[in-house]
Amino acid sequence: MIALERLTYSYPGAPRPVLRDLSLRIAEGEMVLVVGASGAGKSTLLRCLNGLVPHFYGGAIAGSLRVAGRDPIAAQPRGMSAVVGFVFQDPETQFVVDTVESELVFAMENHNLPPAAMRERLERVLDRLAIRHLRQRRISTLSGGEKQRVAIASVLTLEPRVLVLDEPTSQLDPEAADDVLSTLQRLNRELALTVIVSEHRIERVAPYVHRVVYLPGEGQPLLDGAPRDVLAQVPFAPPLVALGRALGWEPLPLTVEEAAPYARALREALSGSGGPSPQPSPQSTGDRVQREGAAVVPSEARDLDALSEAPGESGRPSPHPSPRVQGGGAERPVVPSVGRRHGVAQDLDAHADESADGPVEILVDDLWHAYNGRPALRGVSLAVRRGEAVAIMGRNGSGKTTLLKHLVGLLTPARGSVRVAGMDTRRATVEDLIRVVGYVPQNPNALLFADTVREELAFTRRSHGLDASGADGLLDTLGIAAHAEDYPRDLSVGERQRVALAAILAAEPEIILLDEPTRGIDALQKGALLRYLAEERARGRTLLLSTHDVELAAEAADRVIILEEGRVAADGPAREVLGRSPVFAPQIARLFGEPDAQASPAPMTVDDVLRSLP
Amino acid sequence: MGHTLAWLLWTLGAAVPALLIRNPLYLAIIGLAAAVVYAAAGQGSDQAQSWRALLKIGALMWFVAIPLNALMVHQGRYVLFRLPLDWPLVGGAITLEAMAYGFVAGLAIWVLLLIFATFNVCVDASELLRLAPPFLYQAGVVTSIALTFMPQMLSSAREIREAQRIRGHRFRGWRSLLPLFVPLVTTGLEHAIQLAESMEARGFGGELTGMSPRQGNRLRLAMIVALAMALAGLFLQTYYRQRPELGLAMLATAGLALIACFAALGRHVRRSRFRRTDRSAADLVVAGSGLIVALGVVAVRAMDRMALIYYPYPPYSPFPAFDPLVGALLMLLAVPGVVWMLREAGRPVSPSASADSAADAAEHAP
Repeated sequence: MIALERLTYSYPGAPRPVLRDLSLRIAEGEMVLVVGASGAGKSTLLRCLNGLVPHFYGGAIAGSLRVAGRDPIAAQPRGMSAVVGFVFQDPETQFVVDTVESELVFAMENHNLPPAAMRERLERVLDRLAIRHLRQRRISTLSGGEKQRVAIASVLTLEPRVLVLDEPTSQLDPEAADDVLSTLQRLNRELALTVIVSEHRIERVAPYVHRVVYLPGEGQPLLDGAPRDVLAQVPFAPPLVALGRALGWEPLPLTVEEAAPYARALREALSGSGGPSPQPSPQSTGDRVQREGAAVVPSEARDLDALSEAPGESGRPSPHPSPRVQGGGAERPVVPSVGRRHGVAQDLDAHADESADGPVEILVDDLWHAYNGRPALRGVSLAVRRGEAVAIMGRNGSGKTTLLKHLVGLLTPARGSVRVAGMDTRRATVEDLIRVVGYVPQNPNALLFADTVREELAFTRRSHGLDASGADGLLDTLGIAAHAEDYPRDLSVGERQRVALAAILAAEPEIILLDEPTRGIDALQKGALLRYLAEERARGRTLLLSTHDVELAAEAADRVIILEEGRVAADGPAREVLGRSPVFAPQIARLFGEPDAQASPAPMTVDDVLRSLP
Repeated sequence: MGHTLAWLLWTLGAAVPALLIRNPLYLAIIGLAAAVVYAAAGQGSDQAQSWRALLKIGALMWFVAIPLNALMVHQGRYVLFRLPLDWPLVGGAITLEAMAYGFVAGLAIWVLLLIFATFNVCVDASELLRLAPPFLYQAGVVTSIALTFMPQMLSSAREIREAQRIRGHRFRGWRSLLPLFVPLVTTGLEHAIQLAESMEARGFGGELTGMSPRQGNRLRLAMIVALAMALAGLFLQTYYRQRPELGLAMLATAGLALIACFAALGRHVRRSRFRRTDRSAADLVVAGSGLIVALGVVAVRAMDRMALIYYPYPPYSPFPAFDPLVGALLMLLAVPGVVWMLREAGRPVSPSASADSAADAAEHAP
């Protein structure tokens, strides 16, 4: 179906080719995952398949390329559009018209299909992707997962033979991502559609694919083979694979299901004295493997309703009566009185880490907020102590960003109150609040404007009345010192994210709020971010991050709050909340968590497991 | 929401007089009519909110324009008061004429803005793209990018303002616009590129079929010749005033030749429509009111060049003339809004809400 022969391509003005001498064959009906660090050429490779590279970007291309019997270079993207469907990363920017139905027929109109044929294909695609109910909706009203399914449908109407997706789940919550991926798998099986996906969160996609292609970047030859073979060799692997590699599990497990026998053996070996003790492989703890992402394993079918139940309600009395609102039943939320709230704050001590014994820095009481009449927060109450690291999780649109914006005063409560470092956000100005709170928004592009990275930091410091040149150390810690004189917008997504982080943190805030900090960054960059966050915590800073990234939450946070439709659905120690959530449990917690969760808290990360070994 | 073409004609009908006329009374009627339509159509439109912000900014600039013009221009017979002559620039007579001129200039721009806002609220801008003739492939891509630019700019402007605010950015002069402006433009461009990519990957523009390379080359040559002729005609028309009909004739021939080329090209592009938007009686009203007004205004101007002229400074009068017939003609622009409201009133929902907001909007127009 796809044959690349010694393909070499460089962008116009680039000193080195981004793809060098690539040769790759993909057969009809295969589902292939393309992985690699950011900047390694994943997107470029995918864009070669329908001629967007080189036709849209220019540059020099050499070697030969055939996709479904056509040459994308000769046929141009327009000519390839009938055989290659291309879905882009950002669900927001790829739509041309504004209702679902018009969007779905757009490509067919371009290809001059007669209206009868269009109607027939439209019906078929609506059923196949289960989006019939969305047909007349405006695209702006869809959720992220729905948008991505509509985007897939809009290219499937041309009945292409190859479907190419560039990081299709990077902006979706674990559940929506799983939904999109199982849709892809179904299409691949039922239509023998060749599917090629690139993705940073490997553990999400690896269980679904036949093959993995690893692009090391910098012109190195690619690695290509069965998922377990390739993942055994790549520098960043999902947690299960990393654990399997560390403990010498053979063959490497890709899903929790596959790993379960090994885990059972490990547990037996640890509890029983006579059993063979597990052999940590030589590369184990010394060689820290990078890992990332949310684990959603399709075979794990647990009751979704369990999510709305708080941790600790299943038998064991919870040590942490969280200030949460019961979902569903009561129309009016329980408003904690002042006295009770202090009780809550004291209870926090009962479970919180040793670091979290400081005074309460953030106190949110019965917070309500609505955008144009659409409620976003409905009675959120929580308290965060100095030095805590809290992950706020929840589906797209559950109110995470709205909550963070309240904490820095960009929004003020419609009802209820928010106190940050003793200031009431309704009375304090944003200028007062940002002296103690640093908020890094989701999109780094909204921040960056200066000519150099150094200038970005200096701008923030000047705005805060600080000495402009005092933040060079920050560049080192975040690993962007080498780019200090570069133009921020020329950097990769991950680097830009870190520049944005530096630009906010240059003001040395005591409370750090991060909104989706791992969006679009690869595992290596995530490692750097995690190290930095650990350092900041060690200095006693308070940390709140909103994220879909379960593995990030497991590593960076000691407390997790799950928001659901604007309400706190769960609030407690990370181990408990994540371990029990059907959606947000990390792979390792799924593997070790279930059977004797009563006895000891489940491990969350590969390090947890390795540390517990003798 | 109606037929895009109908609203395009209405917009033409409103914009042509708004561009030709400086008479504040007529402009006020156009503005009032557009406000009625805007209020009727803007109910429950997502777009209306972002446009409202833009209209407010426009109104602010309008009110700034009045004293600014009065301070800068000191001509006129009706002197309101005098500033000391030794004050640089602003010293001298402050006249009613200068006030009136500032008022009218601001009003004209604001009315145009309102017309444009009404068009955007009434139709789905992306539908416009589908009206583009298939042979205008590149032009279609460019237009769609331009159309999506505005709403996206408005939403990312808000995001950027928030982001800079939490960095402690404060407005301290023109240089402090940079942190808002640079991200806005670059983000907009990045979005536009992604959209264009997505369109191209889905075969936008249709396929050129059944045209031999020789035919293609011949067409291209013909287009170049026609464009050259148009340029020459324009040149003659401008610099060789003795024989204006010669230049005009060349321009017309070139225009016809270009249309013929496009039509020939268009026959080779295959593109289908899933659903032709049904034309309803309401669309006829919309299109009809626009056409009548545009033609009427052009006719009035052709018959009497001075009928629509307004110039406050001497020797003319700052008090505008008013012809009830022209006023009635311009009022036709409000018909789609009135029809809309009557239709809404026929429904069980209370019509008073929309009528109230129409009155609100009307208050903004003088």
